[in-house]
Parts: sequence; C-alpha cells; structure tokens
Amino acid sequence: MMTSTRSAALALVTTVWGVVASPRLQTDVVGANQQKCRVDSSAAWFVKQRVWLDDSKHAWSDDTLRVMLVRAAGMSADARGAIQLGWQVEGVSASASAGDSVAIAALRKLAATRGAIWPVKSVSGALGARAVWVLAQHDTALARAALKRMMEAGPEESNAADVATLEDRLRLQSGRKQIYGTQFRRDAAGVLSLASMEDSAHVDLRREDAGLPPFRISACLARSMRAP
Amino acid sequence: MHNHTRMRTCLILPAMLFAATLPARAQRISLDKEITGKEPKTFLPMVGSWVVTRENGRNVLFIDGRVWKRGQPAGGLADKARALYGARNEEFIESIKSFAYFPIAVAKGVDDFRNGEISVRFQMVGGTLDRCAGILFNVKPNGDYLTVRYNGTEDNLVLWTFNNGVRKFVKRAPETVPLELGTWHTIKITVEGTQLHGFLDGKPMLDFTLTEPVSGKVGVWSKTDSMVEFDDFTVTPSKP
Repeated sequence: MMTSTRSAALALVTTVWGVVASPRLQTDVVGANQQKCRVDSSAAWFVKQRVWLDDSKHAWSDDTLRVMLVRAAGMSADARGAIQLGWQVEGVSASASAGDSVAIAALRKLAATRGAIWPVKSVSGALGARAVWVLAQHDTALARAALKRMMEAGPEESNAADVATLEDRLRLQSGRKQIYGTQFRRDAAGVLSLASMEDSAHVDLRREDAGLPPFRISACLARSMRAP
Repeated sequence: MHNHTRMRTCLILPAMLFAATLPARAQRISLDKEITGKEPKTFLPMVGSWVVTRENGRNVLFIDGRVWKRGQPAGGLADKARALYGARNEEFIESIKSFAYFPIAVAKGVDDFRNGEISVRFQMVGGTLDRCAGILFNVKPNGDYLTVRYNGTEDNLVLWTFNNGVRKFVKRAPETVPLELGTWHTIKITVEGTQLHGFLDGKPMLDFTLTEPVSGKVGVWSKTDSMVEFDDFTVTPSKP
C-alpha cells in the first residue's frame, strides 16, 4: 500500500519526462512490471544535479526574464529545479500550460540575435534555464538553437543532464541515433522500447559525464511508468 | 660515351627526385608496454587527464573528459614542460595554461617534425560539450601550436592555430562527415614545406598553405570534456 502510494506520487512528476521534483528523494519505485528502480540521492550524478539546480543564492541577473520563462513553461516560480532522470517517451508532449508561443518566439529571436544574452543559469537561474529546456521541447528550431547555446555556455551555465537529453531528442528527430539512451518509444500495444542508440558499450560513461543516472536506472524508471 | 652519360643522367635524375619525396621510416608510438589506468610514458600529457586504457585487447590512449576542469592543466605540468624544453619551459607553461580548455599530450621521441605524414586512429566515446580528436603539430617552445581536428558535435575537420594565448580558426573542410560514436576512424595530415593536407578515413578533406614551414613537436589534441580513445599514432617524416 505504502509502496504503491509512493509509486503513484512519483508517477505524477515523472509521467511526461523523467524528472523528479524532490531533490531529497531516495526511494524504490515498483512499477507495473515489478522492477525495482532505486534512485539514490547520495549518488554522484544526483548530487551533481542537485548542486547545479540550487537557486537558493538568487544569483541570476534577469528576474523579469526568469519569471516570464518559468510562467511560460508552466512551472511554479518558487519551485525547486527537478532532477533530470534521463528518460523521455518520444512523442509525449509537455504539460498543457507549457509551450507558450510568445515565450518561444522571444527565445527564437534571442537565438537569432548575434551577441544576445541567452538565459543560462547566471542570467535566469537554474529554474529559468530549465524553463528554456521545457519550452524547447515544443519547437525544433528553438531546440536546435537552445542546444547550441547550452553547449557553448558550458557546464557551469547549462545543466549537462538537460543538454544530453535534448541532444538525444534532436538526434532522433534528424534521423540519427541517440547517444545517451534517454529516448524511448511506445508502440501501439503500449510496449516501451529504447529508440536506436550508438555505442551502447560506453553509454554509462557518457551518462556519468552528463550527470545522468546509469542507463539501467533510467530504463527501469521509464518502463515502470504505465502508458497514459 | 656521350649517350651513356645522357642515359645515366636520365635514370639518375628521376630517381633522385623520387628519393627526395620518399617517406622515411615510419615511427609508430606503441602503447603496448604501457600500464593501463596510468598516465602514458610515451606521451607527455600537458593539459587534461590522459590515461592508458584497454579496448578490444589493445592498449589505447584515452582522454577522459569526465574529470576535465575548466582552466586546469595536467598535473606535474612544470616537470613535463622542463622535460620537453629544458630551461625554456616557463613561456611554454604560461601559454599552455591559457589553452587549458584543450587537452594535449606531446609524443616523446619526435623532437622536430617538419615534412611528412602524421596519422592517428581515434574513437569518440563521449563528451557533453565536445567530442574532439586532433593531431597536434608545430608545437613551439613558447607553447604555440597547430592542430587539425575532428569534432563530433560539429561533424567537421578544421585547422586551428594557437598563438600567444589566442586560438584562431584557420580553415574548415567544406564537407561535414557525421561519425558514429564507438567506431574507429583515422585522421591524417601531410606536410611538405608550407603545404598542409588533411584527411579523414583516407579521404582528402582539407588543403591549406601555411604562412611558414612546419617545425616542432607533435602529439594528440582534444577539447574540454571530450572522451576519445587514440591509437596507432604514427609519424612518417619525408626523407630530407
């Protein structure tokens, strides 16, 4: 009973993307197929993300932009950045309130303007940077521009786990294979499978570099979620 | 007699010309006797975490971008710079520190490469920001150098110069070539005087006329958090 309640609660925050709202989470998730997916909040990848997502010092320069982005992405302004668990189901869209076209247009304009300041962590905080990532899921052109800016900005300014997930998504959209194993597909019967991936032998090296959990954990979490 | 002389000249002259462009003996930097998990002894890592690792039963050189830290040269830089350039090492150290975004390892035993061919096999393993493999050459005592590199996040082969602490783009191969991670490929450069040619998997990709002839040490190059394995680093000087 206890486990199923916990599982259901976690499902609420991980149904759309593999992100967990509580940075202090340490739990077992038992999915429909009875797989155990342990997310250890003391693991290096978890700590790395938690540190990066910490906005408690309010060390961002453009509060107006942050508020606009966070609102457009359908996030709460006082929320803590969610841990990226490194899995998405292809074709599943973001929450209903996300995808604000005005914000997307503004970001596209920023991306096209040479020398324009991009909303990275020091500009809009970790939550603002995450909001850009959320909005980028709705617009391929913006996603490409955002990925480029995020990679150029480097790990202090961009959450490497978000960079990795976005790169996988875009690679699949352009007909290439993913490299971090973050993208899953659900067939008509509701069966989840990993979208094609390059070099599976080194996937956990790449995930470690990006601050993502080991592949088995993300895959376990993804498969433990019921089809919508 | 006269005809004999002319015939001999006809035979000898082309032979001499041919000999002038003949490659000398190739020098392959072998990692066979290196210890896995340790820094290589056949290369001097100046920036980045370079270790020997085992891949499919072979020792290969691995730049481990997971431990890359912005602006941090490799451990023991001063000793290594001294080993390379003796008393002239301070300028080299200063310059290398300003290039600490770019891991480099200098091949031992190749003191002055001028003309000929350098090739290396590489396999990209990962890197969130970059996935770069390059040939380092024309390394000067003041830390200036050239590199022809492949970047797996851009799918291109590019020549860069690093002079007085400033990195400058020189020329990009017109064709982009996406390469899969976890597969082996070869970068090769040929240098004759100021003529530089770059190849990817045997295919000519890049031509450039340098402002001055090449002369300096050589090695392997990478960028920021790239994770790349290198093997079969081979230098084949042209016969003088």
